[in-house]
Amino acid sequence: MAQQSGKSGGGLRGLVIGMIVFVVASGVAVSIISNKSNSHAKTPSAVSKTDGYGIVFNPTGSPTIDIWEDFQCPVCAKFESINHSYIESLARGKKVKVIYHPLSFIGPESILAANAAGCAAEEGKFLEYHQSVYMNQPAENSGAINATWLQLLGAGAGIKSNKYINCVTKGSYYDWVKNVAADGAKNNINSTPTVKVNGKELDRATQYMDSAAFKKALTSAGA
Amino acid sequence: MKDLHHKAQPWLNLLGRLVLGVVLLLAGYLKAKAPSEAAMAVRAYDVLPTSIANILGYSLPWFEIGVGLLLIIGVSIKKSAIFGGALMLLFIVAISQAWARGLSIDCGCFGNGGAVAPGKAKYLQEILRDAGLTAIAIYLFRYPHGKLALDKSPEASA
Repeated sequence: MAQQSGKSGGGLRGLVIGMIVFVVASGVAVSIISNKSNSHAKTPSAVSKTDGYGIVFNPTGSPTIDIWEDFQCPVCAKFESINHSYIESLARGKKVKVIYHPLSFIGPESILAANAAGCAAEEGKFLEYHQSVYMNQPAENSGAINATWLQLLGAGAGIKSNKYINCVTKGSYYDWVKNVAADGAKNNINSTPTVKVNGKELDRATQYMDSAAFKKALTSAGA
Repeated sequence: MKDLHHKAQPWLNLLGRLVLGVVLLLAGYLKAKAPSEAAMAVRAYDVLPTSIANILGYSLPWFEIGVGLLLIIGVSIKKSAIFGGALMLLFIVAISQAWARGLSIDCGCFGNGGAVAPGKAKYLQEILRDAGLTAIAIYLFRYPHGKLALDKSPEASA
């Protein structure tokens, strides 16, 4: 690529090419490195590394339901409005293993919301927080999701502690959020919501947005 | 006609460089700022092994940015045109196979990407757009000399 000076452009040409090569190379390097998972990440105690860094309810239960969502994804909000009370009843019960994987691909505000989900899990209020985000979901990346909003939302979900507020403002679980994302990428999760029962994905066309079909898919798997 | 093109050619080159360059720069920028979404878009084509698809998703946007900048500034126009054109052909092949196999995905060309609701895919528009951009790339390769390019002489545009 490097042309010799003497032709038009000369040193400037080399400089321009050099700078562009540098931008591309460092962009690629940072992008690859920052999307790798970090095994030293601080994680909420309900998180299981072997379950894809998800937030786990009833670790020894069966069947296993994995749910990948992004707090900013409108289709997830629709899915939740249809199925949340059933899924929450499973998570609150003792029988079924429910794993939530909060992805964060839509943008920076997804990362803030996922981090706060970890903070809420530490307070034992993950399900309340989770439901509250979807019920109050603002438009994607509109700037609405920030520390104040998450604090108010937490308070509405019954979280009063300063520890939660600190955790939200400091972003204590950003590395964990990254790990959840890296695991989703590794497991070829290409859409949100994605629901798997015992590792097998439900049928997106028929079983996601129909509460009776969703319930039937789970009960026939033993839920 | 030939004379007319001879006069207009450097301006057409500039126009082509700006169109292809800005599209690449914008597409790269929108994806580079959401790398995990870009990786998801590549995975959704269901062609490459997951780990390779992820690496491509993280890195490709930056190459688009680089080539977009080279085209806009007008450096190494021929090589940049080859790269840009090859990229568009690759996208056309990838989108066509998704269409032929009945997948329902967003091309992820300008961010977003991944699976979409059945019937929501826009394969034809995406292919036509990329075909138009390929034509521009071919023109730039054939006529690399252009206005407001850092490379002044045709040889330097190689």
